[in-house]
Amino acid sequence: MSLILKTLTSIQSFSNLLKPGIEVTTLAKRGAKRLNPYPKKRHPGWLPRPTHVLYKDDITPENTKFIKEVVETRFGKPDVGLGMQSKSISPLRNEPIEPQTEWKEGMRRTGVIAKKIGVYPMWLKDGTKVLSTLLQVIDNHVIRYMSPEEYAPVIQRNNIRNRLGCLIVGAESMDPQLFTKEYCGVFNESGVLPKRMLGRFLISPNAALQPGTPLYAAHFKPGDYVDIRGKTIDRGFQGVMKRWGFKGMPASHGVTKTHRRGGNIGSGGTKARVMPGTKMPGHMGNRWRVFRGIRILRINTKYNVIWALGPHIPGETNSLLYMYDTVLPTRKPSTAPHFPTYLPSIQENPVEEELWAEDVHRFDDPCIEFIEETK
Amino acid sequence: MALRNTMMNFSSRAIHTSAICNQIIKLTRLRVVDNSDIGKQAMVEGKPPKCIHIYNKIGVGYIGDKVLVAIKGEKKKGILVGLKQNQKTKVPKFDSNNIVLIDDSGTPLGTRIHVPIPHILRTILKNKTHAKGADYTKLIAIATRFV
Amino acid sequence: MHGALKMSAAVGRVLSQQMRQSLKVLKSLAGKKNRCFSASVPIPKEGSVSNNEQKSVNRGKSADPLECRFMYPEFLPDPKPEYRNSLREKLERADMMARRSKIDIPEFYVGSILAVTVSDPHAPGKSNRFVGICIKRSGCGLRANFILRNVVDNQGVEVLYELYDPTIQKIDCLRLEKRLDNELLYLRDAPEEYSTFSFDMEPEIIPEGTPVPVNDLKVTLKPQPWLEKWERKDLKGVRDIVVNQKREMKAKAALKPWEKYDLMKIYRETIPEEEQKEIFAEVYSDLHNLEITRQKMKRQRTFIRPKKSG
Repeated sequence: MSLILKTLTSIQSFSNLLKPGIEVTTLAKRGAKRLNPYPKKRHPGWLPRPTHVLYKDDITPENTKFIKEVVETRFGKPDVGLGMQSKSISPLRNEPIEPQTEWKEGMRRTGVIAKKIGVYPMWLKDGTKVLSTLLQVIDNHVIRYMSPEEYAPVIQRNNIRNRLGCLIVGAESMDPQLFTKEYCGVFNESGVLPKRMLGRFLISPNAALQPGTPLYAAHFKPGDYVDIRGKTIDRGFQGVMKRWGFKGMPASHGVTKTHRRGGNIGSGGTKARVMPGTKMPGHMGNRWRVFRGIRILRINTKYNVIWALGPHIPGETNSLLYMYDTVLPTRKPSTAPHFPTYLPSIQENPVEEELWAEDVHRFDDPCIEFIEETK
Repeated sequence: MALRNTMMNFSSRAIHTSAICNQIIKLTRLRVVDNSDIGKQAMVEGKPPKCIHIYNKIGVGYIGDKVLVAIKGEKKKGILVGLKQNQKTKVPKFDSNNIVLIDDSGTPLGTRIHVPIPHILRTILKNKTHAKGADYTKLIAIATRFV
Repeated sequence: MHGALKMSAAVGRVLSQQMRQSLKVLKSLAGKKNRCFSASVPIPKEGSVSNNEQKSVNRGKSADPLECRFMYPEFLPDPKPEYRNSLREKLERADMMARRSKIDIPEFYVGSILAVTVSDPHAPGKSNRFVGICIKRSGCGLRANFILRNVVDNQGVEVLYELYDPTIQKIDCLRLEKRLDNELLYLRDAPEEYSTFSFDMEPEIIPEGTPVPVNDLKVTLKPQPWLEKWERKDLKGVRDIVVNQKREMKAKAALKPWEKYDLMKIYRETIPEEEQKEIFAEVYSDLHNLEITRQKMKRQRTFIRPKKSG
């Protein structure tokens, strides 16, 4: 009996070998065991979920032209930011809401989306030269306001004070034919053309604005401090010398093949591993970075350009970045800013074309002269 | 032409060909521009002083810095009054690295400076002068010309 | 093996034919439109001095706005595409014009003799004047700068000034002329007499409408060591540079005679002609008005002077 059983099992195992079976092997998941796991990708609540449906409209070139004409007659030509006063004011809501509350310290108002357009020098009244970065507030409109309850519903009843709402701001109007139907639907409420870039600003509910309200460079005042968030220049895969500023190794004295290398990355013994956060070669740039506490030197309200102090604002020329009131406690404004934003319709006297900080030398001022000290 | 070329070949042997150092560091040759005896003699003999120490924390001398020089077998202190390296705008750059010899109290050894001195040196030396330490502003008094 | 060689030879021939054709095209281009390409080269590299004089800018009345690019090269933006933005350039030009409306910045070239008065907090009278020959002009827009060189008390002195610096009180062009090179940095290695200028020099007046004179002075360099390898720079304003055989051979090896046919290099160095025209069409009328007022002032000054002496 046992012999029969043995033979049977052997036949079975043999036949198992002949059968094509599916082998399940577990692969190591990349990034699963990281100390700092990659941030969870959250879908922004104001955007529709992407549907991977391909629309084939098969529009003839004549019809494309016609649609463009219709769009232009309704919204005006897209604002390229070259001094042409933008006609793209929302046809739905021309009347922005009246400010309901006065500004109080600690209130947060919206920011703007600006385009970095270049760097050039300016001079202060004491003769020192400073470099300034030009930031153009390009065709900004409020797209949507989400109240604190809607934006971040209360899950735990621990901290329900200082709850902030969320204001969606869009920059740079584009041809709606370039976007999907769903994305264009985001702008139904505000009644503006679809925007190239959308941004989110956390604001106190008192600073809420109606969708379709345009934002201008005069939102800020010269002398104010702002934080700027931008995507740094993409430099690709770089070595330690460029990425972290290592010194490299000598050019001669018997050194071979290790002139730009990092060298040792750790010791053996009990810590026989690479410590987390070790500076090593890798991808450099193309990361969101916030540069805080930048002073505004000058504002041009005609072209909506802001001159910010300093040449090192993250991002390439012609890249878009976010700009908002600084969160640094010592540089917060003591006097009231335009709250909730600069609204030309409610302003008693319109702002001048050029606004300058006090200590900046204007280019049409006479030459700087130093006065001799008399004792 | 060929003869001249060979001559150039021959003569260029004596010229040191190492890269020009655009900084005042240790062992930099300097030029004494005042009329102190020791400085004049050293320059006439073709043995310009050598910087052997710079009295700041970076070891690189900039305009108005105090240096220790080896001159004719002696150690003397000097102030850098003109540099060859590129300067900020509106600050003059000179064709040689000039020093004026001083003693420990900041009094210049000579009585005249025979090259122009940058105006910015007034402010720099005034800032470096302390009430109880050396008084460097005497150097400004013996300058003949400013640029 | 043999076949491959043949093939490569054939390919080489075809290539060389193409090269020759392209060279022909280039030569014709260079002959016709040499000056349209670049603003940084006021004097065309090919061509004699007499040719230059014919082509050089007529002062006072520059009929073509495009001719301004030699007079005011700083109005042309940095040609690097990653730095360009039309609005920024426009605002920068507006600022430059605003500054020019407050201070008279004269027309000058490398080789001209300038006197610059700056307000200097370090100087006793709070103002400082320097005279010298302009040996280099660089930078564009508000960053434009120039270097002046002079020899004071047998000591070579150089000062870098920024053209649009508001501490500059006055810029006088004492002698308006051009030299054979675009940079006169070799004056650092030339004898002192070539860069010695008196501080109380009188401004020389050139009659209106005459072209800017080109000074074809050739300097002899001092013996080595030099600050730079001048034998490699193809300098027009230096008399026979003699170096030893080794340096001569190295200079020969470092020659890049093909660069003048490199269309892409020329293209990258400057912005397209149409854009240059657009820029100068914008600032031309203002610049022209400024120039007219300056000439009026000059005439008044020249009228007053004989009275004083007499």
